[in-house]
Amino acid sequence: MNFLDLLTMSVNNLWRRKLRTALTVLGVVIGTAAIVVMVSLGIALNKSYLEDVEQSGGLTTINVYSGNEYAFFEGGSQSDDTEKIELTDDVIEELAQLDHVEFVSPVLTSNIIIKQGLYQADLYVRAMSSEALNKLDIPLAYGSVPQDGEELRYVLGNQAITNFYNAKTNSYPYWDTGEVPDVDLQGDFFVIYDVDAYYQTLWGDASDPESGTTIKPPKKYIMSDFSLVSGGLEEYNQFSSDTYANIDAFKAQLKKVFKNKAIPGQPTTKSGKPYKYWVYNEAYVKVDHMDNVTDVQKVISEMGLQPTSNAEWVESAQKQSRSIQAVLGGIGAVSLFVASIGIANTMMMSIYERTKEIGIIKVLGCSLGNIRTLFLLEAAFIGLIGGILGLILSYGISALMNQFMGSMMSGMMGSTSSVSVIPPWLSLFALSISVLVGILSGFFPALKAMKLSPLSAIKTE
Amino acid sequence: MSETKSEPVIQVKDLYKFYSIGNNKVKALNGVDFTINRGEFCSIVGTSGSGKSTLLNMLAGLEKPTKGQIVIGGEHIEKMNENQLVKFRREHVGFIFQSFNLLPTMNAVENVALPLTFRGMPKKIRLAKAAKMLELVGLKKQCKHKPTQMSGGQQQRVGVARALVVKPEIIFADEPTGNLDSNTSAEVMNLMKKIVREQNLTLIMVTHDNHLASFADRIFHIRDGKILKIEDNTNREVTIDEEI
Repeated sequence: MNFLDLLTMSVNNLWRRKLRTALTVLGVVIGTAAIVVMVSLGIALNKSYLEDVEQSGGLTTINVYSGNEYAFFEGGSQSDDTEKIELTDDVIEELAQLDHVEFVSPVLTSNIIIKQGLYQADLYVRAMSSEALNKLDIPLAYGSVPQDGEELRYVLGNQAITNFYNAKTNSYPYWDTGEVPDVDLQGDFFVIYDVDAYYQTLWGDASDPESGTTIKPPKKYIMSDFSLVSGGLEEYNQFSSDTYANIDAFKAQLKKVFKNKAIPGQPTTKSGKPYKYWVYNEAYVKVDHMDNVTDVQKVISEMGLQPTSNAEWVESAQKQSRSIQAVLGGIGAVSLFVASIGIANTMMMSIYERTKEIGIIKVLGCSLGNIRTLFLLEAAFIGLIGGILGLILSYGISALMNQFMGSMMSGMMGSTSSVSVIPPWLSLFALSISVLVGILSGFFPALKAMKLSPLSAIKTE
Repeated sequence: MSETKSEPVIQVKDLYKFYSIGNNKVKALNGVDFTINRGEFCSIVGTSGSGKSTLLNMLAGLEKPTKGQIVIGGEHIEKMNENQLVKFRREHVGFIFQSFNLLPTMNAVENVALPLTFRGMPKKIRLAKAAKMLELVGLKKQCKHKPTQMSGGQQQRVGVARALVVKPEIIFADEPTGNLDSNTSAEVMNLMKKIVREQNLTLIMVTHDNHLASFADRIFHIRDGKILKIEDNTNREVTIDEEI
């Protein structure tokens, strides 16, 4: 028999028993929809994990700290007298030479104060190379990311304005009353770099306890042209609170401010004189691919430095979401399994009903293979139709869930992603699974039909 | 006439078939030998339980013999597996049943075309052949009728058309008129005989009715699994019209 004849014959057979076929198909529809919806929940969960990670610093970056701080974690191998490995330009260069490392930027952090009118704010500056700043892809409301060779400019976080306080009353308008302080972020500010000196002069203790010399109030520098990260005051992201600057410009500014004095945070000789070189607080290491992060991290810790990244967290989060997906998929699989029993039952029934018919076509010379194919096709059709309808139903359910539960969930978890995601591979997978289930559950009935004796078949009245 | 069709098409040698029902051994066939030549119309006649249906089933490859040989067209039927038997039936055999056995979901033409479908013949060709065959059995008008819309005689004529459409070398008929009244039986018998004569086909018919059996060229009387006598009828040409 040619395939088209087999196809029309099996479709006709299904059509003959519309109600039973419809009920069996319904089982597959529910099974398929259960799997697809359940898995789509798991996928959406995983996706929102990854988005969270992306928000808190990305998947391919490693932050490296100098090696002494957590030395006791090394199980005593790094004893106290081991020379502390500092993040100097040499070490940065060394990090940049590692495999899989795209680039390395030193990170110099420092506190500064900016003032405008009644209000002032303490800012935490992270100065980085422009390469790193560009890579960070900071979303800006206005202004631009500071580039190499430019004069010193700052990028304020979108929540920076909440840090302004009234210097006279010492109250934070935003936190105390919910009012946004009357500060023009695009206007001029006084910037104070020598924060220690500022507070010492402010609180009247204007003499150095060691040398006894009077400390002069630090010099203020007028600056404008601040850039601002985009986003509302309530929107948190990794750029919300810190202030970013170009490291070269920032270093030049610090040198100009402190001249020959020691810069806060930089190492000094015993007599309090600064060294010639810079020591950075952190190094920002960009790795070429997510999968290499752990390896690079291992090499860095062998250098005696302290790398941290999101890799471990991501791994455990993914492990967790995989097990959630497995549980959800398992629940769906149970219903599809029940549906497959339904298919097998329907096929069995239809064989008992058609014993005579099968016998006749066998006597008339229908080959055994054709009989088997006929029944397998019927079962596969039930699976296919059920799969298609189930998929349509799943898309409907998924859309409804995103519509009604999406807003609820995003309020709870702080992410804007959807509750249910059906990627194309899942649709394809669901279709092939439902067809496969159909064929598998039709397999034994088909064998049974094939083995029916033509003689007993034609005798049945 | 017998000189031109002396070529043997069926040879049965020493055929036995035993059933065991509970502890009893039933000898359905107890040593049967005969030869049937091409173009012959043979009837196997006997009472129920005589083994006549068993013999037919074994000739058609629907049952396996316990012992003995069946050679049809030079091939040993008893040695074939089920796949080969299906293929053998598809290519060499036409079947006419007592209860017509038309598929109730198909109309007359589709039923007749069914064996051609199993041969993989394209739809257009097989439907044309089936329509032509229905015309031959005089059912041109009932082409599109479902079996339930036809009388028993018409249904059996569809059955005859279905057996003939594949141009088989041998046609087996199991009580073909068993479900028909005597007038319709006569019509169907006449039709079968006419076509078999015209197309030089071999027809083997099983019946319990001595009168119907007497239309054949040779009549095999069978009782208790053995052939009692073979009656040669070739010289006595009778037509159904004379008989009635």
